Amino acid sequence: MTIKRREFLGHMAAGSAILTMPAFLQGCGVQTATAVSSATPENPFMTWFGVDQATTARVMSELTASGADTADLYFQHTRSNSLTLEDGIVSAANSSIEQGVGLRVVVGEQTGYAFTEDLTMPSMLAAARTASAIASGSGEVAPQSFNPLGAGNLYQTSVPWSDVGIDQKLPVLKFVEEKAKSMDPSIDKVAVYWADADERVMIATLDGHLVTDHRPMTRVTVVVTARKGDELQTGYSNIAAREEFGWYTEERLTTMVKEAVDRTMIQFEARRPPAGEMPVILASGASGILLHEAIGHGMEADFNRKGTSIYSDMIGKKVAEPFVTVVDQATIPRERGALNYDDEGNKAGRTVMVENGILKSYLHDKISAKQYGLQPTGSGRRQSYKYSPMPRMSCTFMEDGPHTKDEIIAAVDHGIICETYTNGQVQIGAGDYTFYVKNGWLVENGKVTAPIKDVNIIGNGPESLKRITMVANDARLDTGGWTCGKNGQSVPVSQGIPTVLVSKMTVGGENVS
Amino acid sequence: MSADLQNRAVQAIELAKGAGAAEAWATASQGRNVEFEYRDGALEKVKDTTSRSLNINVYAGGRYSSHQTTDLNPERLKGFVAEAVAITRALEPDEHRLITPAELFNGRPTVDLDLVDAAVAGITREQRLAWCEELDKVATAHERVISATAGIYDGTSNSASASSNGFTGTHAETYCWYGTNITLMDQGDKRASDGYYVGGQHVASLPAATGVAQTGLERALNRLGTEKGPTIKTSMIVDAQAAGSLVGRLLGPANARRVHQGQSFWADLVGKQAFSEKLTISDDPLIPRGFGSRLFDGEGISAKYLPIVENGVVRNLYVDTYHGRKAGMAPTTGSASNRVIAPGKLSLDGLLKEVGNGVYVTSWLGGNADQTTGDFSLGLRGHMIENGEIGRPVGEMNVTGNLRDLFSQLELVGSDVYQYSSTLTPSLVFGGVDFSGA
Repeated sequence: MTIKRREFLGHMAAGSAILTMPAFLQGCGVQTATAVSSATPENPFMTWFGVDQATTARVMSELTASGADTADLYFQHTRSNSLTLEDGIVSAANSSIEQGVGLRVVVGEQTGYAFTEDLTMPSMLAAARTASAIASGSGEVAPQSFNPLGAGNLYQTSVPWSDVGIDQKLPVLKFVEEKAKSMDPSIDKVAVYWADADERVMIATLDGHLVTDHRPMTRVTVVVTARKGDELQTGYSNIAAREEFGWYTEERLTTMVKEAVDRTMIQFEARRPPAGEMPVILASGASGILLHEAIGHGMEADFNRKGTSIYSDMIGKKVAEPFVTVVDQATIPRERGALNYDDEGNKAGRTVMVENGILKSYLHDKISAKQYGLQPTGSGRRQSYKYSPMPRMSCTFMEDGPHTKDEIIAAVDHGIICETYTNGQVQIGAGDYTFYVKNGWLVENGKVTAPIKDVNIIGNGPESLKRITMVANDARLDTGGWTCGKNGQSVPVSQGIPTVLVSKMTVGGENVS
Repeated sequence: MSADLQNRAVQAIELAKGAGAAEAWATASQGRNVEFEYRDGALEKVKDTTSRSLNINVYAGGRYSSHQTTDLNPERLKGFVAEAVAITRALEPDEHRLITPAELFNGRPTVDLDLVDAAVAGITREQRLAWCEELDKVATAHERVISATAGIYDGTSNSASASSNGFTGTHAETYCWYGTNITLMDQGDKRASDGYYVGGQHVASLPAATGVAQTGLERALNRLGTEKGPTIKTSMIVDAQAAGSLVGRLLGPANARRVHQGQSFWADLVGKQAFSEKLTISDDPLIPRGFGSRLFDGEGISAKYLPIVENGVVRNLYVDTYHGRKAGMAPTTGSASNRVIAPGKLSLDGLLKEVGNGVYVTSWLGGNADQTTGDFSLGLRGHMIENGEIGRPVGEMNVTGNLRDLFSQLELVGSDVYQYSSTLTPSLVFGGVDFSGA
C-alpha cells in the first residue's frame, strides 16, 4: 500500500516517528558517470556535479543575499540498483538516478528551502532566490572559496557498485534461493531482493567548508513461504551495510538464509502469549529497537527545543539504573547507520545520551545546537537533496552491563523473550512507544519454553528505562536493514543492545479467562 | 505542460527502441510543491520546490526492467536509457513479462474527475501566512499549550505516459492541505499531543482554517490525562479516521502478487463468505475529486468500478497483468484507487449507544499484521465507552487478533465517512476483541 504524500500529511499523528524493516525494498544502486563540466574542475566531486569554486560561491552569495545564520548547498547524486528473484528466476531489475542540489538558509529558527534537479547556473540561482525569501535582512558575506575537509574512512570501497555487473550479482541471488530451498522440504516459495547504491554528496557551507562523502550501501533480503498441509507461513531475514560486493560471502549469506528459514518454520508451532503486563526479556541485537523508540527519538533536540518531548526537562536527571549507558554513534565502520559527516557538513561522532543512568545529551543539528549554546553532535541528517536536515539517530546501542543472559532468563517466572522485530513507533510527547515482535518465546519458571509470534508490545519511554533491571554482557549491533521515518523523511539506521530485562511491559496477546 | 511531458515520454520510448528494446513504457512527471510551517507565532519554514523525473520500463528479449532518473540532460539521458536496455538483456527471460496488452487501454472513461483547481497555482504568500495566523491563533488559545505548529502544503502534479504499443495518457492534479499539530502540558513530564489536517484538490472546498484548528485543539485536549486501559475482551468502535488504516491492513494482501507468492490470507477466498455480511468494499476510480481518482492505472488499464467484497462475499482481488498471467487470473488493476466501504445508517453517537460498553479507538500506535496468516497486533489510543458515552482517555494498550476473524466480527458500520483519504470508510464496530493493557 502506498500512501500518497498529500494523504500522509493528513494521516500523520502529531509528533510521532516510525521505524520499519520493510521486506520489500526500495532500490538502492548504480551506473555510469555523470556530469562533465566545462568549468574548471578543482575537486573530483565538483567535477562530478559540473560546478567549480566560483559557481558555488555565486550561488551561496545569492542564497544569503537577505541574511543568514547558517546556509548550505547539498549536492547529491545517488545511483541505485535492485534485482528481484521470484519463482526461480531473476526477472525484474530497477535502476535509478537521483540527482539534485538542495539549498538551505537559516535565520534564527527560520528555514528557507528549495532544490533543483537542473544543475545549471540559472536554475541554481533561481532556487537560491526562492530559498532566501525567508530572510528579510541584509546580505551575508558569502565565502569566495570553500576549503575541502578531509575525506572520511569509515566505508571506503575498493570496487564501487558502478563497476559490479549484473552477471556478478545474479549468482548471489541464485545461491540464496537454492540454499533456502535446501534447508526444509516444506519450503514452497522463495523470493530474494537485492539492492545496492552509490551515493555521492558534496556540501558547501556558509562557513567556507566543502565536505564530500561517497556513501555505499547494500542490502539483500530473503522471503520464505513454507506449506504444511493447508497452512502457510512466511518469514524473512535481511542483511545490510555500507559495504562492497566482496562482503557477500557464502557464510554470511547462509547465516541469513538459515535465520529466515528458522523464523518461518517455528511459526507453525508458535502461539500468542497471554495478554497483559509481564516481564519482557529483550534478546541481544535487534532489540535495540527499544532504545530507538523508548529514548532515541525523544532525545532528538528539535523536539526538545520546542518543548514537545517528554525528555525536554530531564537533562542531568537520573533516568535509569547506573548500569545503563545508551549511545548514538555514527563512527562505527561500515554499519548501515554510519556516516563520516552528517548532512549539514558536521563531523559525525559519538553522543552519550544516557551515561550510567544519567540523561546526558540530546542529538543536535546546527539549529538546536545554536539555541542550546552547544556544538552540533553531527546528527543533522536528511533523506535527500529534496529535504532540509533535522536531528536523527545513526547507530544507537546500549553498552554491556553486569549480568549474563542466563541470569536474566533464570530471573523470570512468567514472561516472554523477544528476538525479531518488524517495526516500531513512538509518541514523542506522551512517551508511549511500541514495537512489533515477529518471533519470541515464553519464559516460564526461569526457562525458555514455547515459541510465540506476532505481538505488539507497548510501553512508556521513561517508565521502561526505569524498569530495566538487568543488563547482560553480550551487546551486539543488529545487521538488518533498518530504516527510520520522521516527518516524512527516511534515513538508514543501525541499532544494538545486550540482553536486557524490562520488569514490566504491556504485551499484546489473547485474553485467558 | 502536458504536451511537453508527453513529448518527453515519447522521446524516451524512441531512445529505448533505438537502443534495442522490443517494447517500452515511459512516464514523465513534474510537480510544484510549497510548504509553509508556522510555529508559536512565527514562520518557521518555507519550502518551495519544482521537481521532475522520468520513468521508463523496458521489455527486451523476453526480459523486463524499470528505471527512473531526475537527470534529464539529453546526452546523459541517452546513456541512461541505453544502459537500461543493457541491464534488461542481462536478466533471465520470463514469458510472463509482457507490456500491457493494448486491448486493456480500450474503454477509457471520459468523465471529468475535477482534480484540478486553477486557484491553487495562484495561492499567494500572503494567503498562506493568513491561514497560518488563523490556525495558530486558535491552536494556541489554551493555557496548557506548549507548542503548536501550523502547516500549509499546496501544489500541482502533472504526468504523461506513453507506450510503444499505442498508449498515451496524462494526469494532472492540484492539492492544498492545512492544519495543526498541538502539544499540551500533561501530568509530570508527559505531553499530550494530537492534531488535525484537511485537504483537497480545490481550495474553495476546504473548511475554514479556524474550525480545523479548533478540531485539532479538541483532539489534543482529549488526550489529557490518558491512562493505561484494561486487559479485557470487549467491543471495539474504530473511528472513521482510524478505520482507514485498519481497512488498509485488511486489503494489503488482497492482490494477485501476494496470492501467487503464497503471502496472502485472501488466497482461496474469492466467491466465499469470508467476512461479516455487514462488510461491503469496492474500488471506485471515478469519484469526482476523489483522492485516488484516475482514468487509467499505472499499467494503462482503463479505470472501472470494481467490487471487492459484497456483504462479506469476496468478489474480486487487485490483479496486475504480470502476476495475473502467472496466477491464471484476469487483470483488474494492480493498485487501489478509492477504496469505498459502504456506510450504514447510524451516526457515531448511535453506534456508541448500541455498543454500550467497550473501547473507542481514535488512532493507532505502531503494530503490524502478518499478511500470510492475517494475525495482527496494534497499539492504540482512544477512550473507554461507558454506558453509551465516550469515557476516560486510554492509551498504552494493544489490540490483538486475526484480520479475517476481526472482519467476521464486524457488527455495525456507521454513517460518518471520513472524507480526507482515498479510503472512504465510516466508523466500524467489532465484537469480542482482545485488548491488553494494565
